[in-house]
Amino acid sequence: VLKRIQAVLQWCFTKVEGVFNLAFGEKLNPLYHIGPISYYLMWLIVASGLYLYAFFETSVTGASASVEALTHAQPWAGGVLRSVHRYASDGVVLTMLLHMLRHWAFDHYRGFRWFSWVSGMVLLWLVYVAGINGYMLPWDRLARFTVVATAEWLDWLPVFNGTLVRNFIFEENVNDRLFSLLSFIHIGVPLAVLALLWVHTQRVPQARTSPPLPIMLTLTAALIALSVLKPAASQLQESAELGFDWFYLAVLALIYRWTPGEVWALVAAGSALLFLLPWLPPKKRGAERYMLVRPDNRIIPVRAGDTLLDAALREGIALPFDCRNGGCGECKATLRAGSVEFGPHQPGVLSEAERAAGTILPCVCTARGDLELEYSPARAPGAAAVRAWSATVESMQRLSPDVMQVILQLEGRERIAFYAGQYINILLEDGAKRSFSFATAPALSGQMNERIELHIRRIPGGRYTTHVFERMRPGERLRFEGPLGSFFLREDSDKPMIFVAGSTGFAPVKSMLEYAFSRGIARRMILYWGVRRPRDLYLRELPEQWAREHANFTFVPVVSHAEGEDGWQGRSGFVHEAILADFPDLAGYQVYACGSAAMVEAAHPAFKAQGLGPDDCFADAFVQRPEMVRLGGAA
Amino acid sequence: MKALRIAAQLALYAPLMAILAYFSTEPRFSVVAPDEALLRVSVIHATQRKAACRERSAEELAKLAPNMRAALDCPRERSPLLVELELDGRVVLRREVQPSGLRRDGNAALYERLALPAGRHRIVARLRDRAEGDFNYVAEQTLELAAGRTLLIDFNAARGGFVFPG
Repeated sequence: VLKRIQAVLQWCFTKVEGVFNLAFGEKLNPLYHIGPISYYLMWLIVASGLYLYAFFETSVTGASASVEALTHAQPWAGGVLRSVHRYASDGVVLTMLLHMLRHWAFDHYRGFRWFSWVSGMVLLWLVYVAGINGYMLPWDRLARFTVVATAEWLDWLPVFNGTLVRNFIFEENVNDRLFSLLSFIHIGVPLAVLALLWVHTQRVPQARTSPPLPIMLTLTAALIALSVLKPAASQLQESAELGFDWFYLAVLALIYRWTPGEVWALVAAGSALLFLLPWLPPKKRGAERYMLVRPDNRIIPVRAGDTLLDAALREGIALPFDCRNGGCGECKATLRAGSVEFGPHQPGVLSEAERAAGTILPCVCTARGDLELEYSPARAPGAAAVRAWSATVESMQRLSPDVMQVILQLEGRERIAFYAGQYINILLEDGAKRSFSFATAPALSGQMNERIELHIRRIPGGRYTTHVFERMRPGERLRFEGPLGSFFLREDSDKPMIFVAGSTGFAPVKSMLEYAFSRGIARRMILYWGVRRPRDLYLRELPEQWAREHANFTFVPVVSHAEGEDGWQGRSGFVHEAILADFPDLAGYQVYACGSAAMVEAAHPAFKAQGLGPDDCFADAFVQRPEMVRLGGAA
Repeated sequence: MKALRIAAQLALYAPLMAILAYFSTEPRFSVVAPDEALLRVSVIHATQRKAACRERSAEELAKLAPNMRAALDCPRERSPLLVELELDGRVVLRREVQPSGLRRDGNAALYERLALPAGRHRIVARLRDRAEGDFNYVAEQTLELAAGRTLLIDFNAARGGFVFPG
């Protein structure tokens, strides 16, 4: 039954979130930020409360009068802030309950999550204490009711036994010190809430504690609008009825329908049940699994019930993410081996075709066994976020009639860290981007990190490449973003590596090979560089030099359209066909293919047909990702 | 398209704000039903000691340490407090309360809240603060209670017993 209720709730949440996605978009959907919104509302409450406190008088006669003055003498400041204070407090209860319900519905409260669950329960209690206490301060009819009802409830306890309420039912017993005490509690408990909120989020890797700015702004605007439309007011007129805040005071109303003892029993039983929920049946089955994460090449534990995203973030792996609720697709990654529980997500985010191709959403996926995951890093090694950089063209050299070597010098003595094989996007003034690979290895020397080498092939009619060849001069400033991409050297294998470069696809291969040589990798490496004419082998002497210097490296240039004047004596034809001819069985190899989309698309199925394992061929990423097109030289 | 999105956002925000607006004051709450009044009885009182003091004999005094030789032996335990409330000839409350403290030598406290129909009522309050015998404090009053009103009955032995609102 419990599972069925959870399934129904999951369905409801997913559907409602889908509707909100249509209006707000996946990144700004408030339902994906319920926890951070609670956090933000707490800050709103603290900020507005500080202002209110500055005008509040802690005395029997002054409490009500000062709140009234605050409300009516400065309606656009104190009045609005008083209302914002109230509605934000109600909002905290609403968002906390929603947050709790969602975690329960999606079964995110067991196992190692017990700490967040239990600390969340304590938080809920503290918020209620602070909220009920807050209603005592204005000393209107509702305040008197709240004080008396709370005392009646506490008086049921043997320690008080009917003595506490006498302090409040007789007007002469209420003195100024009561308001000092109430104010003290009303400041102290919210401070405890903020401290515990910090503790509450510690177990969640990279938990967000503030919603996106647009959500903060719209939420604040909505609360202000509500405050203007329906300002919070004291209840001073005699009446048998009370305007009642059901978010906080429902339990006090119940005291007047049941006996205090029955209310205590309900609250105690409810709290105990909620506190113990993580340990109650049905027990969640599952054991710790292990996940090999690429491109980091790290094997990390995945706790039972943990999402792959949380497991990765906990280990400091910079898996990209945004909504964490299967709503935005920001975390999409490829399952290379193993199987997962896909988890609830928005249907439009992950198509059937993507699922079939192994694409998963790590933010909602859980492991069924050990697995291998590959993602596109949105951050460079060392957890440096992808960012925009400024650089100056230091030098330019024409390597062939249509290939230009451009050396960029980073401005401000900055250094960039990247994986061998990654690329950058040059940012054009109109917002367009042009992608080019790093042509040097990362961190070979300090100089390498300060300078970036690009090989840019001229595309006839191409706007940017024409600019490079005709107008770009050393000293020109440009901006780019990076490092980007998941094309990189796998170091966790002993298999010999075949590099297939088409034209300027040589650039990232050069980066990988230089990196491999600098790391002393002893695996056999064979480079097939395919070009149309021999003159297109623009740095031919470099791989030839590597072949002389490194016994484990072989260089095979392949020309597809040699003409008589070229006097070409070497291998001819398409580059992938040369490989197929040289390696009848590719089962024991890894292949790194960089080139035009057409080349990669032709090579990939042919290599697979000749025994290349799916885990050793990285071409499918090339085919799917637009950056692969660039390897042939985007315009 | 953008305008449509903003309209949709407003359409989704509005119900959330409406929920906050509505449940922050509505539905209105009343501590009693529309045709009822509320009666509160609060008593905190040190009842009489269960046993009277007696004079110690010379032998008893001799057995005590010199600094403990008080002439009177006064048992500390107090009597239970018995309170009874009669409304229009019908007993609506009768409760016995033990004094507080491990030795039951503290005040006995009682607090009760009763809803009663609005209108004219004859209320008799009785209290016994000794171990045996009849009620030694009795007060009677006829009051007109309007709907929604709260009547508070206190007890103050120094002021003669039950105190009804003036």
